[in-house]
Amino acid sequence: MHPRTGFTPSQRLNRLEYANSIKALLGLDVDGADLLPADDMSHWNPTNSVYDATMTAATEIGSSNWLMEYAARPCIIAGFFVLVAFLWTIPLQHVIAYPFVFLFFGAIMGSAWFGGIIAGFVAVALSSVIVTYFFVPPLYSMHVAKESQSFFAAFILSSIAITVVSSSRKRAENASRIARDQLEAKVQERTAELQRSNLEIKESERQLRTLTEAIPQQIWRTDPQGCIEYCNHHLCDYLGLRTEELKGEAFFNVVHADDKPLFRQGWQAALRSGDRFEIEARVRARDGGYRWFLVRSIPQRWEDGRIARWYGIHIDIQQQHRAQQNLVQAQDDLAHMQRSLSMAEMAASIAHELNQPLTALVTHAYACREWLQAKPANLEKASATAEKIIHESTRASVVVRRVRALFQKEEQERELTSMNHLIQELARLLRDEAIRKDVSIRLLLANDLPQLEMDQVQIQQVILNLAMNGMDAMMRVAKPRELVIRTERRGVGEILVAVEDHGPGIAPETAARMFEPFFSTKPQGTGMGLAICRGIIEAHDGKIWAENSVRGGATLQFTLRLQS
Amino acid sequence: MTEKPGALMDQRETVFIVDDDESIREGVSNLLEAVGINAKCYATAEGFSAHWSNAMAGCLLLDARLPGIGGVELQDRLRESSIKIPVIFMTAHGDIPMVRKVMKAGAVEFLTKPFHKEELLNAIEQAFASDRARRMEEAVLDSIRLRACSLTERERQVMELVATGLTNKEIAQRLFLSLVTIKLHRGQVMRKMQAESLADLVRISERMNPTRASG
Repeated sequence: MHPRTGFTPSQRLNRLEYANSIKALLGLDVDGADLLPADDMSHWNPTNSVYDATMTAATEIGSSNWLMEYAARPCIIAGFFVLVAFLWTIPLQHVIAYPFVFLFFGAIMGSAWFGGIIAGFVAVALSSVIVTYFFVPPLYSMHVAKESQSFFAAFILSSIAITVVSSSRKRAENASRIARDQLEAKVQERTAELQRSNLEIKESERQLRTLTEAIPQQIWRTDPQGCIEYCNHHLCDYLGLRTEELKGEAFFNVVHADDKPLFRQGWQAALRSGDRFEIEARVRARDGGYRWFLVRSIPQRWEDGRIARWYGIHIDIQQQHRAQQNLVQAQDDLAHMQRSLSMAEMAASIAHELNQPLTALVTHAYACREWLQAKPANLEKASATAEKIIHESTRASVVVRRVRALFQKEEQERELTSMNHLIQELARLLRDEAIRKDVSIRLLLANDLPQLEMDQVQIQQVILNLAMNGMDAMMRVAKPRELVIRTERRGVGEILVAVEDHGPGIAPETAARMFEPFFSTKPQGTGMGLAICRGIIEAHDGKIWAENSVRGGATLQFTLRLQS
Repeated sequence: MTEKPGALMDQRETVFIVDDDESIREGVSNLLEAVGINAKCYATAEGFSAHWSNAMAGCLLLDARLPGIGGVELQDRLRESSIKIPVIFMTAHGDIPMVRKVMKAGAVEFLTKPFHKEELLNAIEQAFASDRARRMEEAVLDSIRLRACSLTERERQVMELVATGLTNKEIAQRLFLSLVTIKLHRGQVMRKMQAESLADLVRISERMNPTRASG
């Protein structure tokens, strides 16, 4: 066990992983060094303590009282038992023949049992002497009569056998008792250890739970299959649900319907691959409103690499998200303002350029009439004025020509182009705008389109304009909003491009005028978009028109033909 | 235009056209010439302000946007210099704040190019009429001032006191003169100022000193 943290290695590993999981979730560097000291594990040896204890006891006994243990104590025990046997034998010898045999056998057995093999042999020696002297004829001498020699020899051999058997039995019993004691001590130690580590685990779990509750983020945990096991109170409070109410499909139901497919897909892919999972999604609050969250989840693994559980955290990014949205909106507004401002400025400038010669022209015309109506008519003046009128008209038409040149490139750069390719390229450009306006764009492109000569930039401008109009038209209709851009072959060398929305469609009075300059139904529209589109398409010998589709919504379409 | 006072007949009423566009100057002056109105053209505000004076009769036809000093600015400068010639504005692209500003500053009309003959001539006629009234008023004042110059110091005192409504007796007391002397002075004042009655004299006196009359 670790001397300071009090964890067994397996606990330490778990805890280390646990700590790392939490840190990874919070986006810290994964490094356990600051949580737990990285000592080696050589301190740990589960059997050390019991083993040491027995060894120490044995050494102490041997060194202090060797003489007592191996000389005095066996002699005293043997002497005691033999004396008791002798004292009992004296009265009993007159009642039972050869009683000493049983009594001395008992004494030897007792000595060997209680005093060990040394005491047993001492008792054998003492018994032999006493039996020879007192009970074997001739009595009271150390001689053994011939007829008693076989009996006496049998007695001594039996005595030695009893000693050996008894003492070895005793030793075996002692050994098994010691083994049992050791086992028991070991068991107790292990039990205590387990209890302690249990407490420690509980304590560390309690600390971690306190930590997860204290973090001002929403935290959850699932099993390896992704079934929710725990939510901290921030998450429960936000959702207004208990952990049990989030099991199964309910886990996905708190995510906004638009984010759900991506969320489910990402989460299931993460469960399969075991990679960390991260997504931005709107999560429903208890009041039914949604906020943007960064949902991040990482797996915690067992030592063998299997996933133990998943930890997830929800970080509120509503503010950032709103700021970002506002920024995009502001950029958009700014761009629009600049566009319409330059249009307004241009219109003012054109008006001024044209009004100057027109004013001169009109005043000259009035003057001319006055000269002619005078009595008498001043023909000279009238004629000079008429000259002025011609001059001013020319000047006005120069202005008109210049304005036209401004809107129209003198030399158009036309090249053979694949319309489908052009549209695919444009769809990429439109992607961001479509996401922001919650519109999905579907391309239905015909395969058999001929390549046509066109000004790519201008035609892209036209389609872009139609697509933006279509997306704007759907802003106020329910989702899902879909914009279809379709191409179609029309006869030989003619293609049709249609942009279909399912907005409110086009009012009849609008349809007649929508391609006219300065006609707009939008509050901030310049009314130039579709007029410019018509200009471009007609310059390409094409046609542009609008109709309401049978499914509802408007279809704006144009045709382009092979240039002869 | 029929009842012009003799003193004002000497001066021909003129439309002073200030526009940077030559064709506008030509067109407008041609039209004015055809209807018998005198016109004089300037290409810039600076060119016009070199010649201005209160003796100018007629009106100013001013383009609102001019290079250098603009039309609106020229109107301000005229007012600062107490030149009271009526101003008609014209522009090819006027905005409402500009129109409001110049009309508040006393412009006669604001014409948007291109304008109708009637719009222009009506505005000019209106401007001429107001200019005539202004010049007539100034001429009357001038003659009164001329007459007042012939008064002696004592006669001027008597006239002022008569105009405040005092009787001959009160005037005599205030000036420590005899009643007969006051009557004599008063007779002289009436004659010199060409006043036909007491009321006439009071009116003339008020015109000479408009501040005191209103105060």
